[in-house]
Amino acid sequence: MWYENEGRNTDVVLSTKVIINRNIKGFPFPPKMSDADRENVMGMARQAAGSMGLNFVRTDELDDNAKKDLYDQFFSGYAFLNSNAKTGYLLGKTEGLGVIINSTDHLSIISMVPGNDAALAYKRADDLAAKFEQCMDIAFSDRFGFLTSQIKTVGTGVQIMATLALPGIEKTQGAVQVLGQRAEKYDWQMIPMTRPDGIRENGIYILSNLATLGLTEQELIDRAAKVIDDIIKLEDSCRKNICTKKKAVIEDQYYRAYAVLKYCRRIEVPEVLTLVNWLRLGQKYIDTSDADIDFKTINKLTQKVRRNYDDYARKGARKRDASAERAALVRDIMRGGDRT
Amino acid sequence: MRCERCGALIGNSYVRFNGTLLCDNCARDLKIDEIFRRQNSMLEQSFPSLSEIPSVFSLGSELDFANAKIRCPRCGMTLKDIDSSGQLGCIECYNTFNETILKNILKRQGSSEYLGRKPGKAAETTSNVTEPVPGQIPDAPAAKDVSAKTPAQAAGEEKPQKVQPDAAQDDKAILDRLRKADLGTVPDDVLEDGMKRAAAAEDYDLAARLRDELKSRKEG
Ligand SMILES: [Zn+2]
Ligand SMILES: [Zn+2]
Repeated sequence: MWYENEGRNTDVVLSTKVIINRNIKGFPFPPKMSDADRENVMGMARQAAGSMGLNFVRTDELDDNAKKDLYDQFFSGYAFLNSNAKTGYLLGKTEGLGVIINSTDHLSIISMVPGNDAALAYKRADDLAAKFEQCMDIAFSDRFGFLTSQIKTVGTGVQIMATLALPGIEKTQGAVQVLGQRAEKYDWQMIPMTRPDGIRENGIYILSNLATLGLTEQELIDRAAKVIDDIIKLEDSCRKNICTKKKAVIEDQYYRAYAVLKYCRRIEVPEVLTLVNWLRLGQKYIDTSDADIDFKTINKLTQKVRRNYDDYARKGARKRDASAERAALVRDIMRGGDRT
Repeated sequence: MRCERCGALIGNSYVRFNGTLLCDNCARDLKIDEIFRRQNSMLEQSFPSLSEIPSVFSLGSELDFANAKIRCPRCGMTLKDIDSSGQLGCIECYNTFNETILKNILKRQGSSEYLGRKPGKAAETTSNVTEPVPGQIPDAPAAKDVSAKTPAQAAGEEKPQKVQPDAAQDDKAILDRLRKADLGTVPDDVLEDGMKRAAAAEDYDLAARLRDELKSRKEG
């Protein structure tokens, strides 16, 4: 999957995502659309897709494997994948790049890249957006810019989101506040990542832009780069500081986490993420010569465990097998293998 | 961060209620500060969707903008719906509510001036990242394009005027406003009316623009 590829600063930035929302003139926004409107918009999207080298799929016609893939690829919600709300996807050759139809807006172009690269994620999404604008009547006003279903995105219609792994900042007293204020200065927002089932993912945060008016696309990307760079620097110095001052503690936690992940036979998601945080915290600044992993392994572990569709799709007795299967997946990744 | 109700910048002290961020004053106004006050604890917040808010805001009956009577003529959204959820129903909502609620809510961004690109052509953005972090494999560096993108709008551009049907006004004034208007936000009936007036006044250029706008919506 795309998140296994090389990226910049992947020790801190798991991925960067850009969403560009666009709407077609002549239809109400999704919350007010009739079934006929929805079918119409899907038909138009399908038509446009042909000339862009994208394939159209209806969400209500997806089989379990396809849903699993979309969950893994875009982190699409389980509820969204399993509703009959006349929604669809346009998918192409580039993994992590696609269009969701009739979700929050008529067209939500999603572009995800590994690591810290808002410029690349934006460029891919924007190229698609411009193609839609050329072949469809896209809702736009000189005063507000691109008209979106939600007031918070009107303007450029662009949302940039970085998924950040910040165990150093989280374990440093007061650092989360400093970071929140730092982001706020540029009109960005930091929120802790929470799974759809309500479990908070320790150490993982989402950084996203609040401003879509009053700045150009270039300024938005430049600000993203600046804010994310600041966070990377802060996280790095927090990790270094903790690993220097609490060397014995961190080394102990690191190797304990390493051993549990490598040999576990049953494990739940929150525990994996908690243990992975110790690995991430120590990987660069303690002596790891007795362990045989790198940031690539740590990231793969983080991503694969978080993006397991089966966690939601399982019911009853099958659910009890999940922790054993998860443990097997974790062991395999720790040993450099890949089951999926 | 800004208060999602009044737009004021928020410092260390705030209340997050069902995912909506409120400043102290607003929390007090809505009488939810005592129950839901949390100090700086970003860590334990969960973030449910904004759609859960309406019930809360209806408590604050003193909210002057929580008006359920003003409706979008096209989709039926009320000012109250929009204020509580930030969710609009259709393009025309932007026209119906733009003078009041939008100004209010757009405050949370500090600016409501659109500076982004026009439709149809991707922004010529460049990556300004120069240094890869040591020990990591850098991406192929993005080409450093020097052609800095100029804002799509000239600073001196006239603010588009809101176009409203008004029987008392003469053709000239109406057509004048339509010529300057941001057609994307003009309601269908005004476009239709304007088309007839423009044709009668032999301004075929304007009539054609209005026709195209209407046509794009209907075919849309
Ligand atoms: Zn307030
Ligand atoms: Zn409306």
